[in-house]
Amino acid sequence: MARQIVMDTTGDTRHEFDPADPAAVAEAERRFKELTGAGFTAAVRRGEGRSELIRSFDSAAEETLFFPRLKAG
Amino acid sequence: MSGALFTSLLVLVLCVLILGLAHAWGRYLARPPPWSGKAEQKALDLLKQWLSSVQLAQYERTGHFEVTGCHSGKRYCIRRGRQMNIYELDQNGVQIAVWCFGPEGCLAVGDIMLAQKIALETDEHAALAVANRCLARPQVSTGRFA
Repeated sequence: MARQIVMDTTGDTRHEFDPADPAAVAEAERRFKELTGAGFTAAVRRGEGRSELIRSFDSAAEETLFFPRLKAG
Repeated sequence: MSGALFTSLLVLVLCVLILGLAHAWGRYLARPPPWSGKAEQKALDLLKQWLSSVQLAQYERTGHFEVTGCHSGKRYCIRRGRQMNIYELDQNGVQIAVWCFGPEGCLAVGDIMLAQKIALETDEHAALAVANRCLARPQVSTGRFA
């Protein structure tokens, strides 16, 4: 199962989907576009402690993390 | 006489009301923030999953961890906190500046620190472009982080 993790006030909300299920992948891609369109940044884990930002949906990513737009503190 | 009694009762009722309001206001101010407890733990667990083993060991030992900026190669120390918690380090590990940026919204501390780590490690320039920066105070430049 692949996972999309969206940071929010509850810590995060997780959406799991089967990468072999076209409908689930389409739904995950729709969610990706919706979140990044709303200003979220998407990152995937590329090995231990390493991550990479992605600008387009990666159906092969095991775990994609979304965090809100950055602002000055 | 009855007028004085009425006034006394009125004052008493008002005092009770004021005390009740003060108590309620105190409870309101002391309420846990929406991101407390379970959310904090969840965010901390997520942060630990995304840290490297070196960063995780450092965080568990000291409450902070170091990251390397992907563009400049500079080292930053991310301390546990919501803001003013990113310290730029020089070659000797001395704090030379404090950076302040984080994700929008009311997020748990672990989530904020994780977003800061990813941003510095993958898109340092963009992260610092939105950040506030100030020089670290000499008295907090206490040397290397463990």
